[in-house]
Amino acid sequence: MSSNQNNGAEKNINELIHDARAPLNRISMQAEMIKLVLENNMPPEKALDAVNKIINSCQECSEFLEQIANK
Amino acid sequence: MLNILLVDDDEEFTEVACHIIEFLGHDIITANSLNDAYQVLEHNDFDHIFLDFMLPDGSGLHLIDHINKSSKSPFITLITGHPLVKGMLSNLCGPKIGYIAKPLQREDLEQALSHKAKATTANKKSNSHLPTKHFDCLIGESKVMQELYTMIERVALTQANVMLMGESGVGKEVVAQAIHNATNQASDTENPIVATNCGALTKDLIVSELFGHEKGAFTGAVAKKEGVFQRAGEGTLFLDEVTEMPIDMQPNLLRVLENKKVTPVGGTKEIDVHCRVISASNRSVAEIAEKKCLREDIYFRLAVFPISIPALRERKEDISLLATSFLSELNDEYQRNYQWSAVQLQRLIDYDWPGNVRELRHTIHRAFIMSDPESTSIELPKDFRSPFSSVSDKKHSLMAGQTIEDVEKELIKVTLEDVNGNKSLAAEMLGISTKTLYNRLHAYGEFKE
Repeated sequence: MSSNQNNGAEKNINELIHDARAPLNRISMQAEMIKLVLENNMPPEKALDAVNKIINSCQECSEFLEQIANK
Repeated sequence: MLNILLVDDDEEFTEVACHIIEFLGHDIITANSLNDAYQVLEHNDFDHIFLDFMLPDGSGLHLIDHINKSSKSPFITLITGHPLVKGMLSNLCGPKIGYIAKPLQREDLEQALSHKAKATTANKKSNSHLPTKHFDCLIGESKVMQELYTMIERVALTQANVMLMGESGVGKEVVAQAIHNATNQASDTENPIVATNCGALTKDLIVSELFGHEKGAFTGAVAKKEGVFQRAGEGTLFLDEVTEMPIDMQPNLLRVLENKKVTPVGGTKEIDVHCRVISASNRSVAEIAEKKCLREDIYFRLAVFPISIPALRERKEDISLLATSFLSELNDEYQRNYQWSAVQLQRLIDYDWPGNVRELRHTIHRAFIMSDPESTSIELPKDFRSPFSSVSDKKHSLMAGQTIEDVEKELIKVTLEDVNGNKSLAAEMLGISTKTLYNRLHAYGEFKE
């Protein structure tokens, strides 16, 4: 993914928007994971792990948005 | 339990998707590229494949080609993040290929997998021809129904109280459910819908039913009871036959609608009310006003957004869709495979259905029971007319055998309805004096105010 970000300058807006969907997809699925953990009293570490991954993906998404803004 | 293959190059996604799919009770293997997937497919059989559209070593479509060349035929769900690809895939999708778009949710996966389950258990039938259920419950593509759908979509975005009007059997409760479903969908909530029939409650019970009571509030109140306003929470309260509520009980209802608070019988504490009230009546606005069966102030509180539901004879083009759907439900329930013939559908379309959708459903159910279980053709009765429909039929046409008195009575009634109860105008239209009109009305009794 980081290579995608480095290539940002060569990509058009549509490609960047497509790329931004990958971290969004991870955010959505990790959030579903947290729901599962909470609804089924699973170990809280799993939820914490998912939260950290969501934060990372948000950061990644933000970088894509910045590249789009610079187009 | 299904054997699932997930092909996607995003490892974090595949890891979390594995957890979720395993939690749903299925076995899953992942592959991160086309080549990986080819290898896995050599040694394993899968019921369902989730396939990313764009993989590092080619398009997911290559894998579909590869599978098509083999003897295997798993259900395939393409995962795409590209809006343009989405459009293209929808054309490509057949009975065994579906697609879902990123960002995914758990229910996308569940829905895709349940599709598979349906295909394996009921593969003898193709459900692709079934009519669309708008808001999960309404069937019909006619212009009047499209207008109704627009109204439902608009009102779902608000908290306005809705009053549904329409003839008996048009599906007022189903429309209330549609508004409720659309509201839940718009606000992404799962609030409840609570229904009560105001015409079925005695005066003594109505206050307790609507507002609840405390334990010991009256003889027989052995336990505390929540009223329907409270039970509906932030969802929908459906008050059916609201115009049949005794007029002296209506001020209680008005107070709740105005203050948005209820006090249970015997209670001292007011409880806030947050629900939307959908009320229904089979009387027309003119009739409600003329017969004063609903106080004017309550009418305006309840009918912030009045919706008139069309009679079935005003949307004849929907009859075949409804008939197909009803027959399919019955086929599913009783494991039969009856089909309509074009002639039968035309007979259903040609009839006027004075009892509306309820009567149509009842007729189909009766025909279903009467049909030969060994055959695939359903047997419709020779005559659809029910004892109730013959009364309504008189409304619209003259029939041999009717008495002059009946026809005259009907003519006066129709004329009065047409002029919103204005008797002078009605008398003028009928070519009789106002006094004669009054005499006739008094003679008929039922027109007395």
